[in-house]
Amino acid sequence: MLSDTELQEMYGWMVTVRYYEERLQEEYLEGKQPAFDISAGPIPGELHLAAGQEAAAAGVCAHLHDDDTVTAPHRPHHVAIAKGVDLNRMTAEIFGRRTGLSKGKGGHMHLFDQDVNFAGSGIIAEGCPPAVGAALAAKMRGEDSVAVAYLGEGAISQGGFLESLNLASVQDLPVVFVIEDNDWAISMPKERVTDVEDGAQRADGFDIHGTRVDHDDAVAVYEAAGEAVGRARDGNGPTLLEVQVHRRMGHFMGDAEGYRPDADTERAKQRDSIERMKNTLQNAGIDESTIEDIRDRSHERVEEAIEWAKDQPEPDPDEAYEDVFTNPPAGWTPNPEPEVAETTGGDN
Amino acid sequence: MSGGTVVVDSETVWPADSEDVEEAVVSNWFVREGTAVTEGDPIAEIQIEKVSIDVPAPTTGEITEILIDEQAEFQRGDVLAQVSSA
Amino acid sequence: MAEADETKEAETTAEREVTMSRAMVGAIASEIRENDDVFVMGEDVADYGGIFDSTEGLLEEFGREKIMDMPISETGFIGAAVGAAQAGMRPIAELMFADFFGVGMDQIYNQMAKNTYMSGSSVNVPMVLMTAVGGTYNDAAQHSQTLYGTFAHLPGMKVVIPSTAADAKGLMHTAIRDDDPVVFMFHKRLMGIGWMPAPDGPKTPVPEDDYTIGFGEADVKREGDDVTVVTLGLHVHRALEAADGLAGEVDAEVVDLRTLVPLDTETVLESVRKTSRLVVVDEDYHSFGLSGEIIAWATEGALDDLSAVSRVTMPDAPIPYARPLEQEVNPGTEDIADAIQDVSE
Repeated sequence: MLSDTELQEMYGWMVTVRYYEERLQEEYLEGKQPAFDISAGPIPGELHLAAGQEAAAAGVCAHLHDDDTVTAPHRPHHVAIAKGVDLNRMTAEIFGRRTGLSKGKGGHMHLFDQDVNFAGSGIIAEGCPPAVGAALAAKMRGEDSVAVAYLGEGAISQGGFLESLNLASVQDLPVVFVIEDNDWAISMPKERVTDVEDGAQRADGFDIHGTRVDHDDAVAVYEAAGEAVGRARDGNGPTLLEVQVHRRMGHFMGDAEGYRPDADTERAKQRDSIERMKNTLQNAGIDESTIEDIRDRSHERVEEAIEWAKDQPEPDPDEAYEDVFTNPPAGWTPNPEPEVAETTGGDN
Repeated sequence: MSGGTVVVDSETVWPADSEDVEEAVVSNWFVREGTAVTEGDPIAEIQIEKVSIDVPAPTTGEITEILIDEQAEFQRGDVLAQVSSA
Repeated sequence: MAEADETKEAETTAEREVTMSRAMVGAIASEIRENDDVFVMGEDVADYGGIFDSTEGLLEEFGREKIMDMPISETGFIGAAVGAAQAGMRPIAELMFADFFGVGMDQIYNQMAKNTYMSGSSVNVPMVLMTAVGGTYNDAAQHSQTLYGTFAHLPGMKVVIPSTAADAKGLMHTAIRDDDPVVFMFHKRLMGIGWMPAPDGPKTPVPEDDYTIGFGEADVKREGDDVTVVTLGLHVHRALEAADGLAGEVDAEVVDLRTLVPLDTETVLESVRKTSRLVVVDEDYHSFGLSGEIIAWATEGALDDLSAVSRVTMPDAPIPYARPLEQEVNPGTEDIADAIQDVSE
């Protein structure tokens, strides 16, 4: 049973995420109108927003501590927020500033926050093996921390994911794999590229517990995740948890979603997990003004983070050559000066 | 003997999905002034927010004038080019 | 091995120009019409038309039996392309970003590239692996690489990189008809995508009919007497811009490699013997790669003719996200002009 405090915390994360993604979308599109030029504006490059996927982040992260490791894919902001990643520095990173989490070198797909053991990555299913590794380390050191790997339903056919399931199973590791099923792998609908309707069935082949939460409901996710995280902490091995979410915006900003039937987009929007969570709070007797208060404070926090980020300096071009190694060899540089090698040969 | 000038206007190609958008950009010209064209051949690509649309030649003939540069913005309804029909 | 068709000059009576993406797609479409064995497979190649427009319009003409969306599983579907090719089909498999080779590399370099040899030529692998390369749009370390050196270095695969629409069409025809595996790398910035505007240069007139451009034929895009600039892909256009800016001061010759495997060393050496000064511009990491390879050939073949050598490359560091950092590491027109002037002093 969720306490009022827990409900409010989860709701707070969810509205923060939704508002954050909506604001980032605005910031991102600035300078890219009327035609979309991907490298223009304050946030250049790709941006994959998680509006609609809040329940998957809130319901799982509610069970996690700072020393539990979480890996997230190319659509990471909701997970980062629920995990407690430094929002100011995360935002500065997305804006490519020197004081961002990665000094502007990583961008939105490569967010790292060691204070809360969060890491994002850009290749599909890439975060699964490292999460298994974090779980392995915890087990070897006799700690009761767990690892969680997030992936999309499009990733469940990727070899690295399947290898991760096997390794986690064979070694009984404290890891939870969370599949966020938003029905679409860019333009490919799940049924065109996957043979199973329920991704949790992948678990059967690996002798792992698998379960699927069919609704976009943070409380249902919380309950399923509680079992999974608990199983891991008790030393009883991995779980595969699939969670139905929906993608309110395109795959990335710039995706016109021409391939997606309007009805699908509309249907998705009607499944709003935030509305549902708000009802849950109301049913728990939490009053309207408290709920509004949470929402207002979330909006303020997002605005503060964005304002702070935009105020941060850009990196110096020369910083591009730093941070390749923790211990760069003496005299080594990634940028050998373009020496002009001259000879006495040649007749010109 | 040429048959007169036909305009290449942006209104006729504007997609229904972009009803509420008023600006666009020419993302690519496939012709220059003087290029001979055949009716229906794509002569430009325009971009309305994230959507790309081909603009076909309205008639067979020759491009006499290009009015909007590549990467330049224009308003819905603006004339993009003129074709003298053969 | 089949003879390459006679090269047809890319001169044309039409003045219409097409983008590099449309030229490539046109070649693929024509080959599919001619030959039932040709088909396309990859992520988002069907309804989406390819993330970088590489298959735009093909689904409408050919349907899902020929233009197949693949699950995200590079080892799986690239390996499947190898098997289909060995069974006599002519698949064109798309690796969405060259950077993703990591998740399917075994099937690429240990199967696709080696089965002909390991079988003593009893099998061959007539497939095309087409892939998007390059940066300049802030997609960071895992989505901006070219990896020219990596693919050219490993034996058994032909590697081509067009810099213009006309070259892309001819090279794609050759690639599809080739009975060996061909890695066809297309630079994202050159495709003419609405949301990633191309510089001047890649959009060119393209002959209507099918034609082929032979592999191992570099193209001198600009003749000059003073300095040889060897490059490929996006940097052909940056080099041309640098050369134009220096006209009157230094007369630069720009050699567009077009193919890495096989490498047209003759054209490079001929140019170097003429100018004695070599600048190599490479959007790949500095060390142990393409730029070093060109200079090694020049040293081996024209040591006495060389008076100065310089290379302009990406540094040996992952590609950074933030705009000032990415601009710093990717060779710009200024950097190329500086190198041309440096070797001319």
